[in-house]
Amino acid sequence: MSRPVNRVPPSAEAAPSADAAQEARRWERETRAPYIVSHPERRAPFQTQALRWPIKPLYTPADLEAEGFDYQRDLGFPGEYPYTRGTQPNGHRSSLWTMSQVTGFGRGEDWARRARYMLGQGLQGLILEHDLPTTNGYDSDNPLVEGEVGRAGLAIDSLEDVERALDLPFEKLRYLMSVCNAPQPINLAMIIAALEKKGVDPRRFVLHIVNGILIEYTCVGRYIFPPAHGLRIATDCIEYIIREHPNWAPISIISAQLQPAKANPVQELAFSMAIALAYIDATLARGLTIDTVAPYFHFVVNVDMDFFEGICKLRAYRKLWARLMKERYGAQRPEALRIRMMTSPTTIALTLQQPLNNIGRLAIMATACALGGAGEAMTTPLHDEAHALPAEEAIRVGAALQHIVAHETGVADTIDPLAGSYYVETLTKQIESAAHAELDKILAMGGALRAIETGYFQRALGHEQYERNKDIEEGRRKWVGVNHLVLPGEQRQIEIFRADNRTEEEQVARVRALRARRDAAAVSAALEAVRAAARAGTNLVPPCLAAVKVYATHGELCDALREVFGVHTPDSQLTGV
Amino acid sequence: MAAASARPLRVLLAKLGMDTHTVGITVVAHALRDAGMEVIFTGLKQTPEAVASAAIQEDVDVVGVSSLSAGHTRNLPKLARLLREQGAGEKLLVAGGVIPPEDLPLLQSAGFARIFTMGTDTREIVAYLRDWWAARAANDTPS
Repeated sequence: MSRPVNRVPPSAEAAPSADAAQEARRWERETRAPYIVSHPERRAPFQTQALRWPIKPLYTPADLEAEGFDYQRDLGFPGEYPYTRGTQPNGHRSSLWTMSQVTGFGRGEDWARRARYMLGQGLQGLILEHDLPTTNGYDSDNPLVEGEVGRAGLAIDSLEDVERALDLPFEKLRYLMSVCNAPQPINLAMIIAALEKKGVDPRRFVLHIVNGILIEYTCVGRYIFPPAHGLRIATDCIEYIIREHPNWAPISIISAQLQPAKANPVQELAFSMAIALAYIDATLARGLTIDTVAPYFHFVVNVDMDFFEGICKLRAYRKLWARLMKERYGAQRPEALRIRMMTSPTTIALTLQQPLNNIGRLAIMATACALGGAGEAMTTPLHDEAHALPAEEAIRVGAALQHIVAHETGVADTIDPLAGSYYVETLTKQIESAAHAELDKILAMGGALRAIETGYFQRALGHEQYERNKDIEEGRRKWVGVNHLVLPGEQRQIEIFRADNRTEEEQVARVRALRARRDAAAVSAALEAVRAAARAGTNLVPPCLAAVKVYATHGELCDALREVFGVHTPDSQLTGV
Repeated sequence: MAAASARPLRVLLAKLGMDTHTVGITVVAHALRDAGMEVIFTGLKQTPEAVASAAIQEDVDVVGVSSLSAGHTRNLPKLARLLREQGAGEKLLVAGGVIPPEDLPLLQSAGFARIFTMGTDTREIVAYLRDWWAARAANDTPS
């Protein structure tokens, strides 16, 4: 005897559209409406966290019809256009995402020690953050940066510092990401020169340079030169890497920096894409083709606590990129259409109050990243990050969280498991359409560079920052420990990483000693070559490489470029303040 | 009615040193503007000298500094001293951001009337500035 089969009647399988909408209305009228008379809703209105879009009580096939949802056109299959269901044909069933964490502080050897510890904990990727003097283009002994040396990241004054930092077991390292946007050609040159001196084959791992200067102007603030020069410098680095180190990654659009500046998912997607298109157009103007250039673009995307906004944003990201590359640029190669993405739980959801709660938040956000399609890599911030320099225990917990999500929840065991959810598909499509419309608006005003130069991005974010803060102050958004379940009299720990005078003093002594013993004539000739290239519009990386090898310092090289390019000094109009 | 409170309060908001965190200062700027105050922003990466001279040139009533890096123990007292030396000691000095409790006495003795630490409700800042302005106006009124 065969097993009885629950056959679905053919009429339900075909789901005629009039019925779906009609049935949903009937349910609302007959079942839900009478119920909420006696059980009023606990919140009015229900809305998504960042977009503040209304959330319906129920999503049904009628919503997909209203959005014009079409399986093949909107989703397709994993590893196939438009990649909504993921860029990999087998999701995370063949390999998990690369698990990584951010680190960076102190002197070269301090960073290397922490990096070796992290590589020993099962992490394969490292992110190198520089201190503020370095990212803003000053040497450690510049009077402007007193007290900031080695604090928020690694202090780099010369090639010597990079040589100390890159004292690593390269066999365990899959990728190294380096964040140093405004002075990127100098940073890139120092890393290349250090690898050469150590005899490390640059093909054995992937160096990602973030090279994200346009987002610095938009919201982060670590810019030096005026925006048009910033774009040219970034393009020099992209071009150099594509031509000289084709296995490396020359550009990351850190949408994860727009998000803490309170870009909502639509702005985040539209601004990131507009910024990506600005770099692409500049790189194409150097004579490279879209099929060569597009595969190098890499995105880092945060997920916040609104589970569905986060998941749908990741899905919309993949689709929008694929559509833009195909429809706007006529890209042909699948590699050009498949977005390369790293995801991360956001730090702005973490609270100073009741810091252990942050472990829960991180687990939820990491799960959302995995459900949205984690991308090539995931990086988790640490639960004590809101108040202190991360302790080693927090690093261990952060790494474990990703393993828990990957191995214990099952979310990575089937591909794009939330596909087909009426809510998820509706929100994915709404986010994509709204982002596409916002992108068209930005392109109509002349693109990302113009949007920065006129302050459009900055003002839009400033407005969003104010509104989102009001949501919390006025209690529309409940935030545990901040405005909900507040522990009376909780002693909030605010530990700021005190300027370690020894680090700063040593760093200052080192750079001064270096200047005294190096070949001064070679340095000034090398700096002049950098100025000449800056004026001539030729690629800045080769002359920077020559200059760092004779130990021109980071600050000297930035000064040489300041002399040619000038500096960016925006007022309120341009900052959104 | 005193002349002082008849015009809007003028506030200079400033960022000193390498600290580029702007979300807090942006939110405060919007809240103060919404409350009818005139807000001027110095831009990022300013020196205490530049902020003192902007405060005097713009003839502001209040100088508010946002600090989210460790520079506050040096930069803020220096700014207060420069303002006093240049005859602008009557301006109200306030600060906000990530400032550990143990640094508060130092900043208060340097001349900062109030430090708004992270998580302060913007309505509290608005109320504080309004009260100060009203008290200043009352003092200015000839009896």
